[in-house]
Amino acid sequence: MAKVKINDTEIEVPNGTNMIEAAKLAGEEIPHYCYHPHLSIAGNCRMCLVETTTPRGPVLEIACNMQARDGLAIRTDTAQVLHMRKSVMEFLLVNHPLDCPICDQSGECRLQDYYMEHGQYDSRGLDPKVGKNKRQDIGDLIVLDAERCVQCSRCERFGDEVTGTGELRLMNRGDHTEIGMFPGDRLSHNYQGNLADICPVGALTNKDFRFQRRVWYLKETASVCTGCATGCNIQVCHQEGEVFRYLPRRNDQVNKSWMCDMGRLSYQEIAGLKRILKASVDGKAVEPDVATGEIATRIRAAGAAGVGFVLGTRATNEANWALLQMVRANVPGARIFVVEGNDGGQAAQGDTLLLSGDRNPNTAGARLLARHDGNVGDRLALLAALPELKLLVVLEDDVLGRLGAALPPVVFFGAFKNATAQAAAIVVPTAHPVEQDGSYINRQDRVQRVRRAVNPVGESAPAYVVVDRLGARLGKAPGTQMVAAAFNGMARAVERMRGLEFKGLGAEGRLLAPEAVTAVPGAEAST
Amino acid sequence: MGPKILSANWDVPGSHTLEVARSRGVYSRVAPALAMKPADITQVVKDSGLRGRGGAGFPTGMKWSFVPSKEKRGDKPVYLLCNADESEPGTFKDRYCMWLDPHLLIEGMIIAAWALDCHTAYIYIRGEFRFIQARLDEAVAEAYKAGLLGKNILGSGFDFDLHVHLGAGAYICGEETALISSLEGEKGQPKLKPPFPAVEGAWKAPTVVNNVETLAAVPWILEHGAAAYKALGTEKAPGTKLFSVSGHVNKPGVYEIPMGMPMRQFLDEVCGGVRGGKKLKAIIPGGSSVPVMTAAEVDLCSMDYESINQNAGSYLGSGGFIVMDETTDMVAALTNLLRFYAHESCGQCTPCREGCGWMYQILCRVRDGYATPEDLGTLRDLADNIHSKTICFFGASAAMPVQSFLTKFRDEFLERVQRPAAAVTVMASAPIPSAGA
Ligand SMILES: Cc1cc2nc3c(=O)[nH]c(=O)nc-3n(C[C@H](O)[C@H](O)[C@H](O)COP(=O)(O)O)c2cc1C
Ligand code: SF4
Ligand code: SF4
Ligand code: SF4
Ligand code: FES
Repeated sequence: MAKVKINDTEIEVPNGTNMIEAAKLAGEEIPHYCYHPHLSIAGNCRMCLVETTTPRGPVLEIACNMQARDGLAIRTDTAQVLHMRKSVMEFLLVNHPLDCPICDQSGECRLQDYYMEHGQYDSRGLDPKVGKNKRQDIGDLIVLDAERCVQCSRCERFGDEVTGTGELRLMNRGDHTEIGMFPGDRLSHNYQGNLADICPVGALTNKDFRFQRRVWYLKETASVCTGCATGCNIQVCHQEGEVFRYLPRRNDQVNKSWMCDMGRLSYQEIAGLKRILKASVDGKAVEPDVATGEIATRIRAAGAAGVGFVLGTRATNEANWALLQMVRANVPGARIFVVEGNDGGQAAQGDTLLLSGDRNPNTAGARLLARHDGNVGDRLALLAALPELKLLVVLEDDVLGRLGAALPPVVFFGAFKNATAQAAAIVVPTAHPVEQDGSYINRQDRVQRVRRAVNPVGESAPAYVVVDRLGARLGKAPGTQMVAAAFNGMARAVERMRGLEFKGLGAEGRLLAPEAVTAVPGAEAST
Repeated sequence: MGPKILSANWDVPGSHTLEVARSRGVYSRVAPALAMKPADITQVVKDSGLRGRGGAGFPTGMKWSFVPSKEKRGDKPVYLLCNADESEPGTFKDRYCMWLDPHLLIEGMIIAAWALDCHTAYIYIRGEFRFIQARLDEAVAEAYKAGLLGKNILGSGFDFDLHVHLGAGAYICGEETALISSLEGEKGQPKLKPPFPAVEGAWKAPTVVNNVETLAAVPWILEHGAAAYKALGTEKAPGTKLFSVSGHVNKPGVYEIPMGMPMRQFLDEVCGGVRGGKKLKAIIPGGSSVPVMTAAEVDLCSMDYESINQNAGSYLGSGGFIVMDETTDMVAALTNLLRFYAHESCGQCTPCREGCGWMYQILCRVRDGYATPEDLGTLRDLADNIHSKTICFFGASAAMPVQSFLTKFRDEFLERVQRPAAAVTVMASAPIPSAGA
């Protein structure tokens, strides 16, 4: 640990902590453009100049290239520091086009923010500005306006250090330095959106979000992406019930500051054509209550031995827990399954950065509850049981596609019209992850929360509510309508979750306790 | 004028060939050096007081001693880079060293390499010096053939390879960390310090960067000893130095003199005085990057680091001695300088990237009569806001001429902006050609 001083505040931080981060811990924001916690240090913007004391007196040094060591003291509030911030702003803006009114970065632009905080000078620029290439289509998701660029090299470093694809380059010299790509080159990776995120200005913007909404109208709700088993942390940006974009939310343990484009664009599904909006029985739209009543009737008719239930690898833990409780209380003896795999039955490709080949957000959660119950069968068990089943109740997953075998009549609780939903006899719509509270467990065994950002569309409701209502019809509601209580009850019951609390999952989630190593019978004999 | 250490062979016909060079004693110091302990060579260089001739004047022996010991650096190699990028306006001495006595430089590099436990070295030569590169290549080939380079030099067991690397024509590649980036195959841009090259330089290995003239002085120092070198020049600036003299003088050229000669004497006796009997107006003593000196300051100074700094607030720099007589238009002169800096800024860090071009544009307006007194204030502020706020010293190099011209020749600038302004309006100044053009 190192004792460092920022202005008059003394704090202790690990040796080598970047001083911009150390200052943040001490409550002091050091303005910066080029520094990014997950990229190498470039030190080119000079916005983070702070004062240190040397034997030769006070000198200005960049905070981003300074590592905490015992006794290091910096000041961010001297006349010199404040003057230089203003001056750097003046340099940055002298050739800037200032097209804020038509710029999508407006409202989350560091030029704007820092000008208001540290600039506030009258312009002295009288000479013509250097013009640059203004509208360049450089990838499926990205448009580049080189005039707005502040040459911070973040995008260059992202390409070199994160994706390893190195497309963007700062070319030329002096005030003609221009960000661009080699002729004919084009961004083609699955992480393009991050470039728009890390660009501190409006040079790199996201085509999908351009001209959709002024960012100051948007509210943000912390959540996780449910596009794959990685569970990248995100902010859901929405206004009046409509979601406009996902942004990655920093979680150094999971996704650092990044997310993939597939996950980023998956917000489009929320109000997409594949959503199930209405309940139906045998192809006829009905009130959800009517559908629930009909499900209860058919379960009773099938009898415990004739009905199977399938937990969802796409469902929240709370929904799976609700189903488990509901079945054990109302249809004891009925069989429960988990069918892993991807919807549609296709194997998917992952990558070494974030994307997992498992495109379900909660395979680990479904597995955990299956282990806990002890009597939950897998896909082979379900295949073997199929001839005896008269009814199969499915939570979210495309069991039909995953199994590739004909199913008995299906009851489907889910948000999307997958193959199973389309083949189902009864369908009840459930909420999208951004429309409900709940938790998922990612492939690292990290329990992470989603939060309701917008209201469920159509007649949908969170799956744990839908299941609870079915329980009520069958005799005993599992009492899982209050999500926090449901989670906490589950955490008390499930060994590896013990000690976790819904409210205590925090912004970064919590890991499950490690799997208990059970003694393998006969292992002793062999040693 | 004292002994010639660096330019002794320049007037000898064929001095660039191995045969003539050898007849003049070049390479005679290699065998004795290889018989010495490396640390002892560094000590001699330290004792001699030799200072870097690339501009900063940093003590050479001390720089060599910053290289981590073998225990500390593990199996990382040590690189020696000879800085032959010489692109500073007004500086043109290294090119003569390489053109007229390439073997002396090679000899100096062999000795330095032995002292540094270095087995691979590069001469990074300015992109425009293609013709000199050809000559260096020949000299290196000759040296390889004669067993002076390559495996087991002169049977000593010491292996040493020397490569000549041509730059691509960027002034900034003379800055040592930009030189390293360029040599590594990256865009020629300075790197952040720390880490310093002696610890982490080329390919992240310990690296010593020395100027051509610095390395060429090493053989003489080894032959004659530290004391003999110290006997020349001043106490703090021992030895001789090459000055490249240009501008309004009768005898422009490159001169080797002992440090400490009075500047007037140098101008009048060595350089033949101001051209056409005109009065002296100003001198830039150390290449275009250092503050300008007035004629009055010239009378106070001698040709060494300390005197120029103490009496005129300027620097000896690389020894590019630019003479300006009374007819010089100081506004035009400064504008011309800034055109260079605006063109050559590597564009990496904000103040220098944006500021150099901006200062140039303002100066164009001052020169052409389209500026106001406020513009001069802006100019001054910009220079102050660039100086020492940047990644490398280039920023200061562009700021110091502006600061000094504005201070020392204030009236000429004021007169330009206070002319009955027929029409002080915004106008486009000459566009800066892009670096690629
Ligand atoms: C903008 C800039 C340009 C430079 N150009 C040169 C050059 O052309 N040649 C040179 O030897 N040193 C140049 N230098 C100085 C080098 O960075 C370095 O200090 C020098 O090569 C060290 O050698 P020395 O110790 O032998 O002087 C330059 C420095 C700066 C900031
Ligand atoms: S990048 Fe920022 S300052 Fe520039 S136009 Fe866009 S919002 Fe305005
Ligand atoms: S495009 Fe954006 S991220 Fe890239 S260098 Fe310019 S300002 Fe930085
Ligand atoms: S000071 Fe100028 S030359 Fe040096 S790194 Fe910054 S922009 Fe490049
Ligand atoms: S954040 Fe430190 S120089 Fe850019």
